[in-house]
Amino acid sequence: MFSDEEISVFLDELEEKIQVLNENILVLEREGENQEALQEIFRAAHTIKGSSAVMGYDKMATLTHEIENLFDQMRKGLLPVSGPLVDTLFLALDTLHVLRDEIIGKDVSVDIEQVVARLRQCQGPQSAPAAGEAPEAGQGQYSPPDGGVTGVLEDVDEEVIREAGFRGNQAYWVNVEVDPACQMKSVRAFLVFETIQQVGEVIKCEPSAEDIQEGRFDVGFRVVLLTSEDADRIRNLIMTVSEVTRADISRIKLAEGPGGALRRAEPGSREKNAEQTAKAEHAEVKTVQTVRVDVQNLDTLMNLVGELVIDRTRLNRFAEIFEGRFGTGSSDLVEKMNEISGHLGQVTGDLQEQIMKARMLPVAQVFNRFPRMVRDLAQKLGKEVNFIVEGHETELDRNVIEVIGDPLIHLIRNALDHGIEEPEERVRLGKARSGVLRLKASYMENHIIITVQDDGKGMDPARLRAKAVEKGLVEREAAERMSDAEAVNLIFLPGFSTVTVVSDLSGRGVGMDIVRNHIEQINGIVEVFSTLGAGTTFTIKLPLTLAIIRAMMVELANEQFAFPLTNVLETISVKAGEIKKVKHNEVILVRGRILPLVRLADIFEREDSGEEKERLFVVVLGIGDKRVGVIVDKLLGDLEIVIKSLGDYLGKVPCLSGATILGDGQVALIVDVRSLVKEIGVEEAVYAAG
Amino acid sequence: MAIRENGAGGGEDQMVVFQLTEQTYGIDIASVYEIIRMEAITRVPRTPGFVEGVINLRGKIIPVIDLCKRFNLQLTERTGSSRIIIVNVAGNTIGMIVDAVSEVLRVPLDSIEPPPPMIHGIDAAYLKGIAILDSRLVILLNLEKILYEHETNELQGFGLETA
Repeated sequence: MFSDEEISVFLDELEEKIQVLNENILVLEREGENQEALQEIFRAAHTIKGSSAVMGYDKMATLTHEIENLFDQMRKGLLPVSGPLVDTLFLALDTLHVLRDEIIGKDVSVDIEQVVARLRQCQGPQSAPAAGEAPEAGQGQYSPPDGGVTGVLEDVDEEVIREAGFRGNQAYWVNVEVDPACQMKSVRAFLVFETIQQVGEVIKCEPSAEDIQEGRFDVGFRVVLLTSEDADRIRNLIMTVSEVTRADISRIKLAEGPGGALRRAEPGSREKNAEQTAKAEHAEVKTVQTVRVDVQNLDTLMNLVGELVIDRTRLNRFAEIFEGRFGTGSSDLVEKMNEISGHLGQVTGDLQEQIMKARMLPVAQVFNRFPRMVRDLAQKLGKEVNFIVEGHETELDRNVIEVIGDPLIHLIRNALDHGIEEPEERVRLGKARSGVLRLKASYMENHIIITVQDDGKGMDPARLRAKAVEKGLVEREAAERMSDAEAVNLIFLPGFSTVTVVSDLSGRGVGMDIVRNHIEQINGIVEVFSTLGAGTTFTIKLPLTLAIIRAMMVELANEQFAFPLTNVLETISVKAGEIKKVKHNEVILVRGRILPLVRLADIFEREDSGEEKERLFVVVLGIGDKRVGVIVDKLLGDLEIVIKSLGDYLGKVPCLSGATILGDGQVALIVDVRSLVKEIGVEEAVYAAG
Repeated sequence: MAIRENGAGGGEDQMVVFQLTEQTYGIDIASVYEIIRMEAITRVPRTPGFVEGVINLRGKIIPVIDLCKRFNLQLTERTGSSRIIIVNVAGNTIGMIVDAVSEVLRVPLDSIEPPPPMIHGIDAAYLKGIAILDSRLVILLNLEKILYEHETNELQGFGLETA
């Protein structure tokens, strides 16, 4: 049996390869026969076939074997890309996914017979001999036409050769024979290497480079050479080396081989090869060296860095006090101290940044599954859509990545279902027949912005208002007072849905509410802009990381509280006399808009300082379209803080999202702006009713 | 962490013994993580009354409860001998404020008697027993019950009311 770890590596690889297959089949569908995509697909299918067979997942091996056969024919140009073929392939991929679920223990039972039958049908009669091939990784022995130059190519070599091919380089097996009576075989071999490396790169040699250079070979050795020169010239060059009796050159054509490649043809020899030809390989394949790390380890590292950040801040403060007490002129001790604290601060900052980076993943992780989804959906809905994805490479904290998937699926489905019109309708309206759906990620300051934009029918503010009133979500007068932009935001209210006929894709009236919930849970903000007839744009603003945030620090009854800066719109100072009372609530007029006020002391049950102050400090918070001003004792400025949980014992405390440790070691509580604003909303409703 | 010696006398428990409103209490040493001096506690609003707040214990946020308030005992003033006993119970690290920590005692198991239904205003449900040592009465507390049974309900109830 295989260990859990091995299985998990296999599953990761499988997931990755299925994704590769998905992407490239989409490319095929769009562009027809694309050799590069075909190669990618073939390689991915081959890898799955090999590893699943080794792991003993027979159904998966059989299925991928059929897929591989199909691609082999497509690659050779025997089978054209067609609609039904692509559909069958997608079906096969979906089955593959279900098979994966079966491995991870989900209670599904998969019958692959049908899919296999369909795949065979697509292949036509030519496939019969291929079907007999064993489903293990096949032995790919390359035999050139003359049979004189043989060698075994490994997967890695094949990849290098293919890549070289894209850049116009050819790969040759070069078979060199040296006079058997030669006394200095190693020198001759060295000279041959020297000569051919001037015109190309040696990526492989048999026997190993080490053995060759020490003369441990019979009469000949062979190498794989990548070069843009032709075979004759290479032969002539090699023949200039004395005592070389023969040089056979034959071109390697991978596509003509059986496609199989042998893994680890010669155990141990690769390392030596790699050593000798490191330079050559390095130039060819720029592999990124990676280590798989448990996410928990990263989380622990992040926590430790959090500790360091806290101590750095403490040390800074201490250095200030130190300097204040012992003066600047008195000794170089103060200077030393400042220097150390400064350097520590810098290193800690760098460390923090690096670890944050280690936790970052490109949004491609999420985005990659959308093209397929959009294709399937559009087909189902009978719509035509040009799906454009931008900013794949934008990186986000993995925790954030995990959360944004579902909201984005909702938004994309909505855009397809309710946004983009039927092709005929679009033509009638004078728009391009196929709609444009754009998904884009980009950075803005310390945030990442994801937009989902369609050029569909947009939303009708008047209809939204009417709907909200009809559903009893908003008072009629309130709805009428709303600006169009505000009305559009009504879609985020719980239980709001404008579609009278509930489709199975979207629109059960829970979607947008949940989207907003998900996004706000990770301190994000979602906004919607819509122009009737021209389309809708959703903008999601997310923090880069969840562990460290910038916060506005305030003081209340001699204790500090932190407001996450994402929710702070501004801070203002108001005169006590400016505060008005509406019913039981305090409000203030800010730039012509009424801002409801609330005292933090009331919310947190703190004794009021009692004294009548002339000026009051207000932190203006915004969640969605709601704005609330919170009166505090003092504003202390913004600070980078590490979020810590209050722990399971206290559980969820109303209006608090956690705590942080300040520079002086004290604990400050972090205000949960969302639940605070919500609570105030509840109070308002109660007052209004009473 | 627990050091239990199973001698001929049927074994003994090691207890951390502390004072609370002039009474002597004991808790199993195995659940005690460390004992620290009183420090500034950040009050956490809208938690049950016996929750004093949270402290920073080497970078970790630890909730602190007041045992006097927990048992509705007469509150005593915080003095130089006041301590916070950090305990680890059912996976959570929690601090408990006590008047003073006196010693670690070995309590032979056969000297522990079942608790009376009520002692010094504390329900027997929260007690493990009573130990009489050198004519002193040590009330052995059942931390799990004290910290969770009643409290979790109260904590939950509290959350529900305000949610």
